[in-house]
Amino acid sequence: MPTDSGQATYLEAVGLALDHEMERDPDTFLIGEDVGQYGGAFKVTKGFLDKYGPRRVVDTPIAETGFTGLAAGAALVGLRPIVEYQFADFISCAFDPIVNVLARHHYRTGDSMPVTMRAPFGGRLRAGPCHSQSVESYFAHVPGIKIVMPGTPQDAAGLLISSIRDNNPTLYLENKYLYRRLKATGKLSMDPIPLGVANVVREGTDVTLITYSAGVHQGLEIADELEKEGISLEVVDIRTLVPLDVETIVKSVKKTSRAVVLHEAATRMGYGAEIAATIQEEAFFYLDQPVHRIGAKNTPTPTSPGLEDAVIPQPADIANAIRKVAKA
Amino acid sequence: MATSAKTASKGSNGAAAAAPTATATAVADRDPALLRRIYETMVLTRAVEDRMVAMYKGGDLLGSLYTGHWHEAISVGAASTLRPDDYMAPIHRDLGAHLYRGMEPWQVMASFMGKATSPTGGRDGTLHYGRLDLGHYNLPSHIPANFPVATGMAFAAKYRGQDKVCLAFCGDGSTSRADFHEALTMSSALGLPNVFVIENNQFAYSTPIRMQSNSEKFSDKAVAYGIPGVTVDGTDALAVHDAVAEGVARARAGNGPSIVEGVTMRMHGHAEHDPADYVPHEMYEEWAKKDPVELFEKVLLEAGVIDADVAAQVRKDARQVAIDARKRALGDPMPDPSTVEEGVYAD
Repeated sequence: MPTDSGQATYLEAVGLALDHEMERDPDTFLIGEDVGQYGGAFKVTKGFLDKYGPRRVVDTPIAETGFTGLAAGAALVGLRPIVEYQFADFISCAFDPIVNVLARHHYRTGDSMPVTMRAPFGGRLRAGPCHSQSVESYFAHVPGIKIVMPGTPQDAAGLLISSIRDNNPTLYLENKYLYRRLKATGKLSMDPIPLGVANVVREGTDVTLITYSAGVHQGLEIADELEKEGISLEVVDIRTLVPLDVETIVKSVKKTSRAVVLHEAATRMGYGAEIAATIQEEAFFYLDQPVHRIGAKNTPTPTSPGLEDAVIPQPADIANAIRKVAKA
Repeated sequence: MATSAKTASKGSNGAAAAAPTATATAVADRDPALLRRIYETMVLTRAVEDRMVAMYKGGDLLGSLYTGHWHEAISVGAASTLRPDDYMAPIHRDLGAHLYRGMEPWQVMASFMGKATSPTGGRDGTLHYGRLDLGHYNLPSHIPANFPVATGMAFAAKYRGQDKVCLAFCGDGSTSRADFHEALTMSSALGLPNVFVIENNQFAYSTPIRMQSNSEKFSDKAVAYGIPGVTVDGTDALAVHDAVAEGVARARAGNGPSIVEGVTMRMHGHAEHDPADYVPHEMYEEWAKKDPVELFEKVLLEAGVIDADVAAQVRKDARQVAIDARKRALGDPMPDPSTVEEGVYAD
């Protein structure tokens, strides 16, 4: 089982939150491929089978549609399933039940559908076109699903706890590149962090960078460098795509008058388009520049390092884009 | 299997001519109240659906109308094996199963009209009127999406140490889909208290069963999951009841899922807009001789469970319920458009 050393990784933070909620609520259970005896493909749930037993830690056949639908049925009659998709890439195998069973059930019937769907997503691990996808935009178009994408160990814990306690289907996307690279500084709080509240992780005055998940660190990494050049960057971590904290974004953009949106998913039809459109609707007359979007090229994510790096936004690309918006 | 199930049609799924199996002797030892309730529900199902066909033709309904003519023995026969606290995940041919467990006919009509008083308040409509308070899953159109959900309801029962079961229905067409396979795989692997009923009505929309599968019987698919599978005459309410009851008992005892295939015929189009010209006329003629409601009535009359006066009264009462239901549904209000954005998310 994960223990909080005071330097919990992003991965351990997920495990600590799962353990916290499973201890607290006997109606929660884990279900997915290899989550039990193997401890999960990334070992997020290592030790859970021993602690909670096979009743609450359920290894399944390779049947994403099957176990997603199972989670829906169990949730309808009062349980709180926590589903793991081994990679976010495989969530397409469950697209039908997520979209047609989970997402619209409450609107159709008034019944609650408290299912948490966890999936590791994203690139930079040289895992290629079928193990590196960012899937948030597929689901952001579907009414009835909440979408949570934490960027820090503390948010990973607090937002997962809120997701599990939420009475709606919640897609909780874990950035697998951050799993072992990001560590907390100090013990994690197990207090829930409300969904729909953005976090201004760095205050600045010249440009607002609106981002989430790994983009938060990419933004923070270049902020000091930009500061030396006289560009003061404000970094807004939206934390949840649905619901979206429009107020915090707009407030920041009204202050800086320049906005850049960053994510690892493809720019074309990516969630940044929604944010950019929202900014022009809410703060058009405050803008000194068009809202700039940074995202991946419109290709599958290639495997070979040079190719992948050419597709996914690199620190220099991000810094250059911000410089351009700041100076123009 | 129970005697009546054993004698059910074997071999070709397409054969209309399975010999009648529910005999007067098979009825003698049964609970007359149960027989009467099955009969009354079957008659009511037919009366409500006939009335709704008239309503469809008269323009009362919003979209098309999906009926279960010749499915009454399967839906009611199967539902009659459950306890009130069991779960059910029926499809659009199973009005009888809903009515058996307390669904109101006027509410079904209100659903096909998009009324505020339908179970979905007009958010959804047509055949999507399942009520969770009756233990029924309200399925989407992507059937058998209800199969994996049914495994979840069964999972929850087992999780809590309850001896509830979940009965799920699908058609012959549904057996081709991935969620059929995944639900059966999961239910079998996890040993869940499910019974899966396949209503083989010869057609998936316009596609005949011989273009869907080379399986001799749809229940043969059970072999792949290592669970029991049986095919019965789906026009024989007691044959269905007995076969499903055996599956329910097995599931309740913790011995896992099973499949029951009921063979019948879809006597109307896929929905009422569909003239079903693709169905050979001889099939209708052959299957017209096997009206499940008439067959069951005859069995009860022969066994002396009811007499002709009772039968006439039951039919008259059912007709009146259907007439009154239409009146109520027609008079009910439509939903308020100003509420349309409410309820996308639960609190």
